[in-house]
Amino acid sequence: MANYFNTLSLREQLAQLGKCEFMDPAAFSDGVSVLKGKKLVVIGCGSQGLNQGLNLRDSGLDVSYTLRESAIKEQRQSWKNATDNGFTVGTYAELIPTADLVLNLTPDKQHTSVVAEVVPLMKQNACLAYSHGFNIVEEGMQIRDDITVIMVAPKCPGTEVREEYKRGFGVPTLIAVHEKNDPQGHGLAIAKAYAAGTGGHKAGVLMSSFIAEVKSDLMGEQTILCGMLQTGSLLCFDKMVAQGIAPGYASKLVQYGWETVTEALKYGGVTNMLDRLSNPAKIKAFDLAAELKDIMRPLYHKHMDDIMSGAFSSGMMQDWANDDVNLLGWRKETGESAFENATNTDEEISEQEYFDHGILMVAMVKAGVELAYETMTAAGIKAESAYYESLHETPLIANTIARKKLYEMNSTISDTAEYGCYLYNHACLPLLADFMTGMNTDVIGHGLSLKDTGVDNQRLIEVNAALRSHSVEKIGQTLRGYMSAMKKIV
Amino acid sequence: MDTICVQQCTAKFNADFVLDAINWSIEPGQCWAILGPNGAGKSALGALLAGEGEIQSGTLTGVPGRVSLVSLEAQARLIQAERDKDDSDITDVVFAGTPLQEMLDESCVDPVLQAKLVRRFDLTPLLARSFRQLSTGETRKFMLVQALASHPELLILDEPFDGLDVKAVEILRECLAEQMTSTSLLFILNRFDEIPDFVTDMALLQQGALVQQIAADDLPAVAQLAQLLHLQASELQLPERETAVEEVALNPDQPLVEIRDARIAYGDHLVFEHLDWRIEPGQHWQLSGPNGSGKTCLLNLITGDNPQCYNNDIFVFGYQRGQGESIWDIKQHIGYVSSGLQWDYRVSVSVQNVVLSGFYDSIGLYQTASDRQLEIARQWLALLGMTQRASASFQQLSFGDQRLLLIARAMVKHPPLLILDEPCLGLDDMNRQLVLALIEKICAESETAVVYVNHHASDRIKGINHYLALDHRG
Repeated sequence: MANYFNTLSLREQLAQLGKCEFMDPAAFSDGVSVLKGKKLVVIGCGSQGLNQGLNLRDSGLDVSYTLRESAIKEQRQSWKNATDNGFTVGTYAELIPTADLVLNLTPDKQHTSVVAEVVPLMKQNACLAYSHGFNIVEEGMQIRDDITVIMVAPKCPGTEVREEYKRGFGVPTLIAVHEKNDPQGHGLAIAKAYAAGTGGHKAGVLMSSFIAEVKSDLMGEQTILCGMLQTGSLLCFDKMVAQGIAPGYASKLVQYGWETVTEALKYGGVTNMLDRLSNPAKIKAFDLAAELKDIMRPLYHKHMDDIMSGAFSSGMMQDWANDDVNLLGWRKETGESAFENATNTDEEISEQEYFDHGILMVAMVKAGVELAYETMTAAGIKAESAYYESLHETPLIANTIARKKLYEMNSTISDTAEYGCYLYNHACLPLLADFMTGMNTDVIGHGLSLKDTGVDNQRLIEVNAALRSHSVEKIGQTLRGYMSAMKKIV
Repeated sequence: MDTICVQQCTAKFNADFVLDAINWSIEPGQCWAILGPNGAGKSALGALLAGEGEIQSGTLTGVPGRVSLVSLEAQARLIQAERDKDDSDITDVVFAGTPLQEMLDESCVDPVLQAKLVRRFDLTPLLARSFRQLSTGETRKFMLVQALASHPELLILDEPFDGLDVKAVEILRECLAEQMTSTSLLFILNRFDEIPDFVTDMALLQQGALVQQIAADDLPAVAQLAQLLHLQASELQLPERETAVEEVALNPDQPLVEIRDARIAYGDHLVFEHLDWRIEPGQHWQLSGPNGSGKTCLLNLITGDNPQCYNNDIFVFGYQRGQGESIWDIKQHIGYVSSGLQWDYRVSVSVQNVVLSGFYDSIGLYQTASDRQLEIARQWLALLGMTQRASASFQQLSFGDQRLLLIARAMVKHPPLLILDEPCLGLDDMNRQLVLALIEKICAESETAVVYVNHHASDRIKGINHYLALDHRG
């Protein structure tokens, strides 16, 4: 199988990369009707599989689960998940031939083998749905010509997909049709009905392409989302401890700091995150972020280049073929880090203190978000995709670190994200070594502790203007505006 | 004065009214307000201290020698006494009635004070008139002057402000405040806003029982008491239903719910099996059973929140489950409240929007409400006494107020079926009273069928006449 993206002409590549638009809610007025009475069969009953299935069934659709024979025989967790929830469960051979829509919700790593096994069993003119396009785009999986191939990707973890649905809302969702596999031209209609069945249409749907989704998703997850937070956690913790700050405090400040500062990001972008700082601290964070961006820019470019050329995915697939030796080694290393093993202090840290004492963390988030966004848009990815895959998702990953530090974060995210995260971390740690020697507890751990918080007017005006005029802030304002127009919860 | 002590006192007033096991004490210097809905026994309690009623068990001690009672009943007695004096039919001499001056002189202990009070209440021009010629307000003023001038050690004022004009109310408050040092005061009041500011303690009566005693400076408790009295006010009505929206009509000949041979199990663990249940429109049900007997599971089969509703034989609101209906088709016919819902209602949302979310069965509000819906939501907030807090954050409300609001959310669309799954769970006494008062109003005033689940035998709901008890293993 050849990398699908690389088989396209430059013109086609750019056209696919540049696809991403926010859909008008009116486009979903038919709801799930296209799928009413059709048979939906889900492969995989993990968190995404189970929760999407529950939503689809509660939307009036006919959903059942297919698992490998061994999973059924041994009554594994996936089998329990499905049967406890009252779903029909059957083998591929039993259920796939009956399906009008097959939802492949297994991990990326299993896609090739699962799809190879399932497609021959699918009936003529059925539809195959992915929630991530890696298999199609990077592995170049070829699907039978009569089959429609679509993608519906809720931009949140499975439990949240379910919770929001039960509240009567949904989570932002990305949909796409694989143009090569849309023989009847109804791929979009099916994708829309599927998104509506999960509740996604209430929170906003982005229409994109398999390629734009894969390339932007990979870039976001390995740089700002997972990579930057991992590297930042290790560097900030070690720095504080080296400067004599109690490990318990350092550990807590880092573990919950990302979540706290990116909560501000979620509500009002990079601007709001920096506005939470005092004026001198804001200028400090701004300057640090500028320095960080200059140092890390080549690394972000390299990640984007490797993703575009396919070098990243082929490297990772080699590791898959090699029993995940690299991945598992890196995972072990993460589990053994000093940050991971420090016990948090019981001392209360106020919400504002996370900002005041975490100026460097704020700078790292700003640098990472802007670099990832700038690099993606420069590579032909639309601003909307770049925003979702950088700024929008950062708070979600920060939340997993708050729950159980880095090890948990790495085991929650996809295998592609985890692999990319380690690559980034290994390159970024040495890259920032010099920079970090110049850092002190005033920017991480203690805060500026200034008696006089005065600043130069001219400088403050420059900083504020630069913050607010960045392109990620402009698109963010627009997209958050759509979201809050729908989510009228005050 | 000694402490007046009422211990486990049960007293009978007439064939059908009993004050039940009252425990209460009035310390010297305290000024009490007795509150409660009509018929709760407030006047009976006042009368008990004035020596009326037949004590059947328990004790009443420390009542001073001079007790004055101003009440409608006392007024009736005075009128009767005047009637008794009227011998005109026998003597053929028209009875002019006893002049006020004469009546005052009979009972007077302190002529100086009496003269002063007569002036203050503007009774001087009336002194020559007879009692029967007075208007309602004048009668009331006269009785108050008479009572105050007798230097009572305990003065019981049953609705003393009724019938008084604004000026007279003001004068009475002043006089009472002056007399507080020498007299123990006991107010019996229907209206919370009539409680004088010098009241030190409040007690709440419900159905002949003294259910709450709170200090007047316990402001949160006082606020809850005010809210409860407001909810129990008989003139209060449930807001109307929204008629603008076209409702999905239910077939009145079909049951709302019909569950046949239901079974719920998780792996090897069987919750229940062979369970049948049919709920007809307008029926009120009580569902009970020990922990783990599957009460919430059963309710969730109806609401669709238990996924196993898809492999049971369940007919709800015209839908056989699992035939292509969506969960929102079901939920539009149900109002649902449980402590679980309160935990789930974690979104950042205003008080008013919580009520509005009931129109859409959502947690949080994601639609733009119509003007009519807003109007109805405001009516509900007024009913709950929460108008002032419409834009406050739901999360900042007390636990009990949140529960009340969720009941209003469940009722706002007047659903055919209201499910109350242990609605009082986790609530303190006062909040429990509040919730029950609201539920009783709903049972009495709407066509909604109610399914009520509880453990507390004391939380009885008037109007429930169907019972389903689950034991272990259904």
